[in-house]
Amino acid sequence: MAHVVLDAMPGAAGLYAKALAPARRPDVAAGLADTTVRLAGHRCTVAEVAAYNSVCGFVLADELPATWLHVLTFPLQLTLMTASDFPLAPAGMVHVSNVMTQHRPALITEAFDLVVRAENLRPHRRGVLVDLVGEVRVRDELVWQGRSVYLNRQAKLAPNPEPGPAPKAQGDGSGTDVGASDVHLATAGLWRLPADLGRRYAAVSGDVNPIHLNPLAAKAFGFPRAIAHGMWTHARMLAALQARLPDSYAVSVEFAKPVLLPSTVSFSVAEQPDGFEASLANRAGDKTHATLTLTT
Amino acid sequence: MADLRNAVLVGGNRIPFGRIGGAYASATNIDMLTAALDGLVARYGLAGERLGEVAAGAVLKHSRDFNLTREAVLSSALNNHTPAYDIQQACATSLTAAVQLSNRIRVGQLDVAIAGGVDSASDSPIAVNDRLRKTLIKLNAAKTPMNKLKTLATVRPGDLAPEVPAAAERRTGLNMGQHQAITTKQWGITREAQDELAAASHHNLARAWKDGFFDDLVTPYLGQTIDQTLRADTSVEKLAKLRPVFGDEPGASMTAGNSTPLSDGAAVVLLADENWARERNLPALARIVDAETAAVDYLLGQEGLLMAPAHAAARLLTRNGMALQDFALYEIHEAFASTVLCTLAAWESDDYCRDTLGLPGALGSIDRSKLNVHGSSLAAGHPFAATGARILASLAKMLAAKGSGARGLISVCAAGGQGVVAIVEAI
Repeated sequence: MAHVVLDAMPGAAGLYAKALAPARRPDVAAGLADTTVRLAGHRCTVAEVAAYNSVCGFVLADELPATWLHVLTFPLQLTLMTASDFPLAPAGMVHVSNVMTQHRPALITEAFDLVVRAENLRPHRRGVLVDLVGEVRVRDELVWQGRSVYLNRQAKLAPNPEPGPAPKAQGDGSGTDVGASDVHLATAGLWRLPADLGRRYAAVSGDVNPIHLNPLAAKAFGFPRAIAHGMWTHARMLAALQARLPDSYAVSVEFAKPVLLPSTVSFSVAEQPDGFEASLANRAGDKTHATLTLTT
Repeated sequence: MADLRNAVLVGGNRIPFGRIGGAYASATNIDMLTAALDGLVARYGLAGERLGEVAAGAVLKHSRDFNLTREAVLSSALNNHTPAYDIQQACATSLTAAVQLSNRIRVGQLDVAIAGGVDSASDSPIAVNDRLRKTLIKLNAAKTPMNKLKTLATVRPGDLAPEVPAAAERRTGLNMGQHQAITTKQWGITREAQDELAAASHHNLARAWKDGFFDDLVTPYLGQTIDQTLRADTSVEKLAKLRPVFGDEPGASMTAGNSTPLSDGAAVVLLADENWARERNLPALARIVDAETAAVDYLLGQEGLLMAPAHAAARLLTRNGMALQDFALYEIHEAFASTVLCTLAAWESDDYCRDTLGLPGALGSIDRSKLNVHGSSLAAGHPFAATGARILASLAKMLAAKGSGARGLISVCAAGGQGVVAIVEAI
C-alpha cells in the first residue's frame, strides 16, 4: 500500500508535462496499486475562488461550489495517474462522467483534508475505464465526495478482471443513451462561449490540458478546434442552479460530444420531485454536450 | 383618505463592512447584496417566500448591473417570483428605498418588502474614455476584417487612459471632501471637535460589537466577522497626528481619520405590514413615521454640498409639530465628522434657521449623548448605498429596546446636494 502525502498543492502544468512523457507502466491486467494521494489542511484564497466563480458563473458566497472541490482534488488525481505504479497512460485520457456528493456546505474559511485514490479498473468496448475517487474532509467530517470516470482508449483488458460493485456513475463512456431521457427539458439559457474560454478556465482551475488552450494542440489530439473543459460545462450548469441548491445533494454529469470553441450552447433544465435534470446541447439542439442529474 | 396600515421594520441584516481592497476585494456588488439578502432570509425564515418587492441599489454600479437587485434576488434563497428594482439616490439610496417601500405597505400595495443597498469601492466600474468607447462601438459594427483593422488603427495611446470614478461632483469638479472643507471653514468647525467625534464613533462602535449588539444585525461574510475599518484603540491624540487631506492650508482640518473611509459592503432591512409580521410571529420593532428629502443649490457655493439634511429636518419637524429635542436618539450619518458638526451648528444658529431655513428661530442643540450611540460611518465604513439600511436597522433595534413610542431621527446627506431625514418610532 503506497501513500503519497503532499505538503502543498502540486502544479498541474508540471504534471501534464510528466503525463505526456513516455514512461514504463505496470501491466493493466495486474490491476491497480492501492495508492492514495493526500494533502492535509489545504486552504483556499478568496481571490482564487472569486476568479473561478466568475469564469463559471457562480455568485461568490461563503459556500464553495461543489465543482471547486473537484478542482482542488484534480492535481491529486494527476499526481496519482502520473505515478510509476499507475497502469494507464494519462495522456489522451477522456473524462466521460463525474459524480459528486456534497454532504454539507464547504466553507471558504475552512481547511480541507484531501485524499484521492483510483478504483474500479474495468474493460470498455473502446478501451479501459478507471474511477478516480476524491474525498474532502474538515477535521474528520466528510463534506464532499467525487468520482471521475476516465477512459483510456489505448489500453485493453479482458472482461471482468476486477469484479466489484458498479460505480454510481451511469456513464460508461459509450454516450449512446445520453439525452435519451423522456423528461421534457425547458430551454433556460443560450450561452456564448468565447474562443479563449479554455484559457480562462485553465487560468482559474489550473487544468492546463493543451487541448483546451489552443487549436493547434487540439488538432494534435484529433479535435478541429480547442474544446471547452468538461468540468467548465459541469460548473456552469451547476452555477445556473446555485440559488436553488440545498445544503446537501448529489450531482452527476455525463460528458457526450465535446464543445468546440468558440460556440453558442443551449442549456435546458427540468425540475424533478427530488432535484433537477439538465442538459447542454448545441444551438440547433441535435447534439448533446453534457447531461446533468441533481438529486437532493 | 382610506385608513393607512401600519408598516413596521421587522429587522435588518448586513455583512461586516470591508476596507477598500480588503476582505471583499474579490466580491462584486451582486455577491455582497446576495450575501446580505440571504442572511436576512435565514434570520427571518423567508427561504422560498415570494415577497412583495425588493428595492435596492448601488452608487458605483457597472453598466452591466443595470438589474443589480433582481439579479441578487435570483441568486438568493428568496422565491424567484419576488419582483425587484434598482433605486439610487447616492448615499441615501437604501434609506429612500425603505421610505418608499414603507409607504407602499401603508397604502396596502405590498405586505412585505426588503430595502437595501450595496457598494464596492474595490470593484468599482472603470470606464474607457469616450473616444475609445466610441471607437469600440464602431469596431463592433464593422463588418469586414479590413474595416475592423482600419477602425482599430485609429486608437491612440491616450485613448487607453481609463476613467476611474471619483467622488467628484460632476458639475463642480470638486470632490466631496473638498466641498465639505469649504463648509467646515464657513462654520468654523475645529480640528479638535472633528477628531473627538471620530474617536467617539470608533469607541462606540467597538463597544457595540463587544456587547453583542450586532449579533442579530450582521452575518459574517468571506471570513470577515467585524467591520474592517474599526479601530477600537484609536484616540484623539492619535487622530491629531494625521495630516489634513482636504482643504487649503492654513486651517485645513479634515484628515483621513475624521473622514469616512472608502469601503465595501451591503445592508438590507425587512419591512412588513404589522399584521403580516404578527401572523408570522416576526418582530415589529419600529415604524417610519415620516420622512423628508431636501436638495440644496450648491452650484455657485450658495450652500454647502452636504447641508441638505439641515433643510429637510426643518420641514419635517414643522410638518410633524415636533421640536428637535423630542427624540430619544439621533443618527446623523458621518460622511465626515465635520458634516455632523456643521449640521448641528446650523440647527443651533438663530440666523441660519431664520434666514435660510425660514424658521422663527434656532432649532437648538441636542443632547450629544444620544447621538450615534453605537458608532456610525467614520468607524463602520460607508459603502455608500448600504449606509441608510445599516442605520435604520440599528436605530429600530435601539428604539425597540427603549420601549414603545420612543422616537429617533435619522439624517443622511447625499451627493448632488441632497439629504434625507426620517422620524422612526418604536412600536
